[in-house]
Amino acid sequence: MKKKLRVKSYKLRILIFISSFFIINFSFLTPSYSKVYIDITSPAFRKLPISISYKGPEEAKEIAGIVENDLDFTGIFYPMDPDILGAEIKVKINVEVTEKLKADAIVFDLIKNKEILIKSYTAPRKILRALAHSISNDIFSLLTGKEGIFRTKIAYTSSSSNKKWLYISDWDGHNPSRIVSRGLSLSHTWSLDGWKMIYASERKKNWNIYKLDLRNSSETALFSSKGLNLVGGISPDNRIAFSSSKDGSSEIYVMNINGSSVKKLTRSFGIDVSPVFSPDGSQIAFVSDRGGSPQIYIMNSRGRRLKRLTFQGSYNTSPAWSPDGRWIAYVGRKNGKNQIFVIKSDSTEIRQLTDEGNNENPTFSPNGMFIAFDSDRYGSKGIYLMNINGERQTRITPNGTKAMNPKWSPYFK
Amino acid sequence: MKKVLVLVLVIFAFGCSKKYVQPHDEVDSNIVAVKEEISHEESHGKGDMDSSVVDESLFEFKDALFDYDKYTIRPDARDALDSVATWLNSHKGINVMIEGHCDERGTNEYNLALGEKRAKAARDYLIAQGISSRRMATITYGEEKPLCPHDNEACWQMNRRAHFVVTK
Repeated sequence: MKKKLRVKSYKLRILIFISSFFIINFSFLTPSYSKVYIDITSPAFRKLPISISYKGPEEAKEIAGIVENDLDFTGIFYPMDPDILGAEIKVKINVEVTEKLKADAIVFDLIKNKEILIKSYTAPRKILRALAHSISNDIFSLLTGKEGIFRTKIAYTSSSSNKKWLYISDWDGHNPSRIVSRGLSLSHTWSLDGWKMIYASERKKNWNIYKLDLRNSSETALFSSKGLNLVGGISPDNRIAFSSSKDGSSEIYVMNINGSSVKKLTRSFGIDVSPVFSPDGSQIAFVSDRGGSPQIYIMNSRGRRLKRLTFQGSYNTSPAWSPDGRWIAYVGRKNGKNQIFVIKSDSTEIRQLTDEGNNENPTFSPNGMFIAFDSDRYGSKGIYLMNINGERQTRITPNGTKAMNPKWSPYFK
Repeated sequence: MKKVLVLVLVIFAFGCSKKYVQPHDEVDSNIVAVKEEISHEESHGKGDMDSSVVDESLFEFKDALFDYDKYTIRPDARDALDSVATWLNSHKGINVMIEGHCDERGTNEYNLALGEKRAKAARDYLIAQGISSRRMATITYGEEKPLCPHDNEACWQMNRRAHFVVTK
């Protein structure tokens, strides 16, 4: 039985999405500590025991719950009951609700016995979740030195009868908002600043590439031609890698984000598709069946120095670069099912991350710590998140709805 | 080093500029466009059936089926395509849209490209049978519009197809 993805009114959702960026912060303490609380690169790190308590109306409990959920998901914190001894870090959240929501977050280092963060947050009540995620981000970066992803978004497609629409939700699956409702849309990518979506859409029997401005919902056509045009990824200097079969066979192209300077990079008789730039923009990984079966290849951004990356398995697709450029996640077929692997960009190491059901379309979080993907392990396809070592695989879209093709947003600027 | 900030107000606006845009009209017109598109497609479908002057039984062309990850024309696909060619040769005024489809294994993007190869292979075969290229258009749907929803080879085979739809 299919349930429709529960979405509030389209207008309201877009307004919430945009307005969630208006949070006013006051910081009374600038943290600049030399103490390293969690070194997540160290292979032997242990989870940091942390307790979160709250004071105030209903909203306080909700905010504390979201912060605890955010930090717990990272797998590097050990949330503890505030009444039990053992926490090393103590977080207190005091909330006041007048015409706006105001929260004070105080973080104590219980070992050194001093406050290490006092920060005040103000926001309209209806973006309570964004305020809570702000708190999570600050605690996370304070204790790990890395940027938190709790205010990033996930774009994905959801099917309804014959249509495939584009949605954006919070990193944890909340607040889904439909952004493209026309026809069949997929192969989307975020712009560098997160304020535009570039995607392919089938309209009137043709697959063309469009750009949507998320701030004003205006859509422009970027590339159209006879045949199949699909979006790959974006480079740090705003070039879009895409595939087009306008010359007969599906080949890899790049163009500027305004659609100009189209350059063809591959020339083969088979299928070349799914091009993604490395984070430094110097290389492109893509899928090609020129060797007889679909495999991942890498070439430089001018289409030269082409080499094959995957040699294990008969069917490897869907490449995604990690933000540090060291790994490429992809989908490999094993024992009749699709699984997510990561391979070192120099081919020297492969790790399998999933083994239940069919798992596809991996995408990295911008801090490189998590991967989102889709999985049908419990029936209908849904969006899942996991740590990059494959732990904590968690579904974030509701059961009974069909969601797939996730793309993790950048940090919003 | 601990610094104490006294009465320093830091106003943090995350993300976008101060402009707070109300996306009313574009949003509404997008939804209107979807409704129009749906009703247009439905009436278009009905129109085909009503205005045909041909034998109804021949309207359901058999699909041309393909092997896994292949777009070569098999002997059984040749039979299906030959029937289409025969029909098109005796109904000169009518055109056909060839849809390429895949089973749902594999990435959506790769399957769209594979579906396109299948549609084009079918079209090339029909051109070789003397059908004018101007009468045939192709479109791919990859794995997006399966005929059969189950997880087994019988279903997957049904989905790996070139499907023929008569157009005006």
